[in-house]
Amino acid sequence: MSGATVAGGAAQILGGVVLAPFLPGLIQHLKARLQGRRGPTPVQPYRELRRLWGKSAIDVEGTTAVYRLAPLVVAAALAAAILLVPAAERAPGWGLGHDALVLAGLLALARFAVATASWDVSNGFSLQGASRDLTLSVFVEAVLVLALAVAALVTGTTDLRDIVAGTAGADIWSSPALTLGAAAFAVVVIAETGRQPVDNPDTHLELTMIHEGPLLEYGGRDLAFLQWGVAVRHWLVLVLAAQVFLPHPTSIWWQLALLPVWLIVLCAALAVTETILAKTRILLVPRLLGVAAAVALLGIVTWLVETA
Amino acid sequence: MIVVLLAGLAWLVAGGVLSSVPGHLVAGLRLQSAGALAIGIAGFWELADGGTWGAAFTSTLTPHFGVDGLTGLFLGTLGLIAFPTLAFASAYLQPTGSGRATGLLTAAFALSLVCVLCARDVLTFLVFWELMTLVPAAIILVGSSGRTARRSVFVYLAITHLGSVGVWISLLLLAHEHAIGNSSALSDGSAVQAVIALTAIVGFGTKAGVMPMHAWLPRAHPIAPAHVSALMSGVMIKVAIYGLVRVLVDWLGGPPAWVGALVLGLGLLSALGGVTYALFQHDLKRLLALHSIENIGIILLGLGACLLLRARGADEWAAFALAAALLHTVNHAVFKALLFLGAGAFEQAVGTLELDRLGGLLRRMPRTGAAFLVGAAAIAGLPPLNGFASEWLTLQALLHVPAYGGVWDGVLGAVALAGLAATAALAVFCFVKVVGLVLLGPPRRPACAEASDPPAPMRHGMTFLAAACVALGVAPGILFAPLVGLAPWAEPGPVQPGLSLPSTGGLPTVGLAVFLIGIVPLLWLWRGSRRAARAPSWASGQAVTPALLWTSAGFTKPLRLVLETVLRPEREVTTRSHDGVVQEVSYSGRVPQLADEWLYRPVSRYALHGARWARRLQSGRLGAYVAYLIGLVLVLLLAVRIGALG
Repeated sequence: MSGATVAGGAAQILGGVVLAPFLPGLIQHLKARLQGRRGPTPVQPYRELRRLWGKSAIDVEGTTAVYRLAPLVVAAALAAAILLVPAAERAPGWGLGHDALVLAGLLALARFAVATASWDVSNGFSLQGASRDLTLSVFVEAVLVLALAVAALVTGTTDLRDIVAGTAGADIWSSPALTLGAAAFAVVVIAETGRQPVDNPDTHLELTMIHEGPLLEYGGRDLAFLQWGVAVRHWLVLVLAAQVFLPHPTSIWWQLALLPVWLIVLCAALAVTETILAKTRILLVPRLLGVAAAVALLGIVTWLVETA
Repeated sequence: MIVVLLAGLAWLVAGGVLSSVPGHLVAGLRLQSAGALAIGIAGFWELADGGTWGAAFTSTLTPHFGVDGLTGLFLGTLGLIAFPTLAFASAYLQPTGSGRATGLLTAAFALSLVCVLCARDVLTFLVFWELMTLVPAAIILVGSSGRTARRSVFVYLAITHLGSVGVWISLLLLAHEHAIGNSSALSDGSAVQAVIALTAIVGFGTKAGVMPMHAWLPRAHPIAPAHVSALMSGVMIKVAIYGLVRVLVDWLGGPPAWVGALVLGLGLLSALGGVTYALFQHDLKRLLALHSIENIGIILLGLGACLLLRARGADEWAAFALAAALLHTVNHAVFKALLFLGAGAFEQAVGTLELDRLGGLLRRMPRTGAAFLVGAAAIAGLPPLNGFASEWLTLQALLHVPAYGGVWDGVLGAVALAGLAATAALAVFCFVKVVGLVLLGPPRRPACAEASDPPAPMRHGMTFLAAACVALGVAPGILFAPLVGLAPWAEPGPVQPGLSLPSTGGLPTVGLAVFLIGIVPLLWLWRGSRRAARAPSWASGQAVTPALLWTSAGFTKPLRLVLETVLRPEREVTTRSHDGVVQEVSYSGRVPQLADEWLYRPVSRYALHGARWARRLQSGRLGAYVAYLIGLVLVLLLAVRIGALG
């Protein structure tokens, strides 16, 4: 194993497991600044996790193992996803491979676990969130797979390491395909991280929650796992955005060096969109996602026309 | 191999006869189950072996029987499903007259399935094909002869018989062209090839429940006994897939690209349509039946990708696509049989399958519930279970359609790719709903609070199928390798547990399963069993009463609203008020099947009009018939006279 592979693997693990909570913290911090508030510091999510880790959990009456295991299944699925998504073009195999389409399956597993747990507690607010999340997921998953398909077609493989290597450099941007894929993936980033205009991560009004709703009945370490899972989703989609859908250099060392810069830029971009855009009516979100799907499809068409 | 197969058939027949003898139903069904196991072993043995036994395919009409790899795969699937299903039936069927008749007919059903698969000439195939259609109808009528059952059976027989006209035409045309078992007999792009392809797609598609020829399926499957539903969904509709693969892949030579595009389009329609309508069902067995349409759609997506890729000369990926379709055929059989058996167990324990009137069954029926949960996760396509492996393969196959095809193929492949992703997400949605309403939450009626696990044979049958879901999810590669070799142009792949295909990241299923299943206990240890505060669930400070519980319609409402323009749901709210005070509000809503409204209803109306018109000819008077005969003879003589009859 070469030094580059070790460095790539280390960045992947360290970033996914440890640095992930910094990303939502940074977005909150920047958003507060943009709105003229002081706001929490970017390390606030770590404090939240430490606080939750010390608290006792909740055991909702009349629940089964489905409720108790859901946070662990979410953590397991997202831990596998961390290993799946490389931080740069080289990474150890980890025994899980690096296939782009497996990512969709792992995210679906996490969603299934959380949504079944909301049925287990039979909390109306949890179920409302789960129902909305699952409704949107139908469209999000289609856009995710289409956007990944653009990158896979352009690079000729679904191995994420090879996709990162194949989209590196400046030549790839002479074709509009990847640009259109990037536009579609931007919507995926917003939807998967649960940010405005799709969802409002700051709301604590039960009736408006989507992703926060199913977490209502959890406390203590269970909630810590779930909150960490939310942070890991930020890491996964932002790393994919930076290393596949944004320009990146061909050398792995430069890729790793540029990654933090891109992550900060992307967090700032999310903070800006959250500040200037209001939350869309939930029933109109599928239109936004439908437009994104059409854009990704257009990317595939341009690629097909170019290669035909 | 052949000894095992014949022994299995003998046990099946003996078991069928024995189960019709009063007092021997259980022994008879156990013997049938053992026979099914032997048939399954023989089938997979044949598949692994790769040889052929018995007669080869022939275009003559004399009876011939034989077994080859593809037959072996479907025989193996039959055994894999029928072995636990018949064991389940041994405790499920009541030892009454109708129970014994069902036992006998079940054996006849399994036997006709085996004979269709082993038939090597057109006539034998068609005879057992019709038997395979008729026997389930008889089983349904033995079990329940109410008005709705009779009507459903009529719809089933009417549609499948109309459809089987397509099977007859395509197979007889193939025999006429000497193309049965001979892929070079038809010239590519000829009209007869197109006719055979179209009639086969309509004929076998009807039997498989492909949209829009599916209308019989959600009617017939729910009213059959659980083990017969499992066999119908698991095996019978798969025999139609067997027929499609035989005709389109093995015998048709190199069909033009539009055949593949048509199959792909029908697959996309069935996958999305099936799962969407399933989502808005409130009866468990009907919901499961509609999911069969979805999964047939996924299988057709793989088959369509295979035909398109083959037409583009991408032989390697065409073989992978075919293997993906066949692997999903096996996987769907396993988890759908499991879910139907689970539904049967719930129905026996609780007395209803209306989703809004179940609940809390995981606690009362832990073993059935756990097996059902595994089946639900598998059909939702979640890693590390079997549904995910074959859906991943199908996604990869669809992704390679744009990679090899022209612009139009490519767009179709990309749309199908997005459609399959949406289908998978909809299936997750649907089975979250099913698991939640059936297994979790408080019991919604007293019977649910007193239910208990069924007797051992039923439990073991379901546990076996759940184990098969896990095994096929952890090591799909062992089955995938010989499946690649079933394409006439390809060689079997290397045998390995995971899936690694060129130009993909691979699916190391073992690593994934070990990681996902292994890390959960580690996290549990890390979490520790800390003191947890017991609390009721939060309902804004109210007590959670049954009226506050969520319903099947409520959970799916956001999607219903989003898809309103497509689905055209109907809802009716009537408010009865007295002196300005609302006394009663009644609500009813349903999502109509658009194929029924827009296709079947007009067609049957015109057919009835036509029949009424034709009835005028049938006056019943002898003189009129003599006049018809004389008229016919005169017309024929005239035709001969002017030389129209050559």
